[in-house]
Amino acid sequence: MNESSREAYNAARIKALESLLIEKGIITSETVDQVIDFFEKDMGPFNGAKIVAKAWVDPEFKQRLLEDTPSAIAQMNLPRGMAGAEGEHMKAIENTPDVHNLIVCTLCSCYPWPVLGLPPYWFKDPTFRARAIREPRKVLKEFGLDIPETTEVRVWDTSAQIRWFVIPERPASTEGWTEEQLAAVVTPEAMQGAAKVQVSTSI
Amino acid sequence: MKLQHYLGGLEGLGRINFEKRVFVQPWEKRIFGIHVAMMALSQHLETAKVTPTKFKSVWTWANLRKLAEGMNPFDYFKYCYYEKWLSGISSFFVESGYVSTTEFDIKTEIFLEKSDTSLPHSGKPEIDNQVIEYLRVGDSPKCKADIKPKFSVGDILTIKNPLPTEHCKLPGYLRNKKGVVDVVYEGVYNYPLQTGDGVGDPMPIYSIKFDSHEIWGNLTEPKTWIYADIYEAYIENPI
Repeated sequence: MNESSREAYNAARIKALESLLIEKGIITSETVDQVIDFFEKDMGPFNGAKIVAKAWVDPEFKQRLLEDTPSAIAQMNLPRGMAGAEGEHMKAIENTPDVHNLIVCTLCSCYPWPVLGLPPYWFKDPTFRARAIREPRKVLKEFGLDIPETTEVRVWDTSAQIRWFVIPERPASTEGWTEEQLAAVVTPEAMQGAAKVQVSTSI
Repeated sequence: MKLQHYLGGLEGLGRINFEKRVFVQPWEKRIFGIHVAMMALSQHLETAKVTPTKFKSVWTWANLRKLAEGMNPFDYFKYCYYEKWLSGISSFFVESGYVSTTEFDIKTEIFLEKSDTSLPHSGKPEIDNQVIEYLRVGDSPKCKADIKPKFSVGDILTIKNPLPTEHCKLPGYLRNKKGVVDVVYEGVYNYPLQTGDGVGDPMPIYSIKFDSHEIWGNLTEPKTWIYADIYEAYIENPI
């Protein structure tokens, strides 16, 4: 089977399954659309970006976020569900010039849905999962990130209940920015430790 | 053992796929949505028991993981992420008697011939309310049980090497390795499935810190540490 017929088969197979599940009263004709809609509007990396931006401008909030992530997040005006599916036990960790954190799930693809949404392809890639745990610096270099030898690298394997996310370093040229402006430059990659937050000099 | 339990550290895989999208093919969204609905309608949830769905099974992450980890390892790497979901979830519905192979094949043919054939319109809104409520509330594995953790912060421990079964919560590369307890998580955690190697009953979980050199020797990088969450059943008593 070539690539396009394989995808056509997958598409037909899933449509057949969804259709049968609706006919049999297991789900409704709206269920899948509602789930997707929820991840576009309520749970996604836009929540994590707001949390990081607040941590950057408010040291007390950052301290609380590091010590007791759920209670710090509960302080914020985010949609209900930040302790919901895959966010029941979340923990923030901080990148500094001395410590760089990288998150990986070598057994599967665990990911903090409420703050980061659904995992991107690279996070689920078996090659990333295999290599990040043994040669994180080499892997990060392929992501375009040079970690100096003086910086400690901590790799977190999500093998039980905690879903980690990283507070990246705040870019130097962002003094005076509003939380909204800051949130706009935070990427999901940065919140998993696979990228730094980049600021275009033209801003 | 299964290769998929020993993925951490596997060599010779080449470069990473840097794709940043969550879904590449439109059908991938559909299988994701079905899996979430199954988790939300799983009959171990009190709220799902009173929802007017015909789904009468228990379905958690553990069930999906068991199917993926139970796969032939060569197939595991041949199929993409959501293809594994599609095949695992499809076989679950067929084997549990919700859908027959024949009707599934007939429907597939219909959509293969005419891909714009529309889906049926049906269902009670209570089903969707339960699905969204599940996403908001979640399903915490933390449980009330009077079990005290055996180990404390700073203890140097050895990870056991139990025979991995088709579903396993212990990454292969940590077996027989020494680490130090960094955090004793508060409380006791349940796992919804007996994995056959000790996990399944409520137990404490620890964050264990490993020196990367303890695991990979000189084949790792300087100043690198690995932190993994480890179920108590996977830890030897310290000598």
